[in-house]
Amino acid sequence: MTRLSCEKAVGQFFAYLDRALAGEALADLEAHLEACLSCCDKLAFSRQLDDFVKARLPEDTLPAGLEARIRRALSRQAAEP
Amino acid sequence: MSGGGGETVDQRRRRLEALALPYLGDLYRVAVRLTGRSQDAEDLVQETYIKALAAFPALREPDRIRPWLLKILGRLVLDRHRAPAREVAVGDLAELDRFSLYDLVWDEDPLPYSDNLHRDFLAQFPDDDVRRALLALPEVYRVPLVLLYVEELSYRDLADALGCPVGTVMSRLHRARKILERELWDCAKRRGFVRGGEA
Repeated sequence: MTRLSCEKAVGQFFAYLDRALAGEALADLEAHLEACLSCCDKLAFSRQLDDFVKARLPEDTLPAGLEARIRRALSRQAAEP
Repeated sequence: MSGGGGETVDQRRRRLEALALPYLGDLYRVAVRLTGRSQDAEDLVQETYIKALAAFPALREPDRIRPWLLKILGRLVLDRHRAPAREVAVGDLAELDRFSLYDLVWDEDPLPYSDNLHRDFLAQFPDDDVRRALLALPEVYRVPLVLLYVEELSYRDLADALGCPVGTVMSRLHRARKILERELWDCAKRRGFVRGGEA
């Protein structure tokens, strides 16, 4: 086994998925994943959950009048003494 | 450089409009995902531009105006909801860090005939439940997560946008996902997808 415990490995999954791990931390986690099937499954679920939530973020088209509304608000603001 | 010299407020407004309004769609996209409501998103975006007009002379790198606007928007959401109760509402942090939706689903095995238990478990949730779970996140967790999901910012850029250290971004993004997992588990119990054994 590697130096990293499963608990510590799991604690770094999101940073790993977000590409925020580097150097020794990244090497340790990757070494752990090579040896631990259970953590691989948990990591796959974390990735699946991220993709699942991202795909369900609310979509909305830009309201037609919003740019005009903001231009008016900025003009009013600029006209204030 | 922005501002300075003999620039009038109206000249500043016109320069801001020329530089910043091309990003209106991007800001609205983030805002609607942060607020969950079109009207709230419109108000938030308008407030962002008003704030940007006042802060425009301090903008040192006009070619970085897009992240600068996103930073203003994110901080407006955080400042608006700077209520200690929302931090406390997530409960015991050590317990939250240990929460595992994967383990709970595995242990309960609510879909015994599934050949991909976790995928099929997630597939049961209507889209609105997932959006509600996201909106249930306190802003301090929701803002970095939405910026990460929508803008794919690095931790360093998130730290800059939110005005906090990279380590704080890391722990907030970890906890944001853990709270989401917990919200989905609670939702699964309410909908009867699971019996609801505790971790």
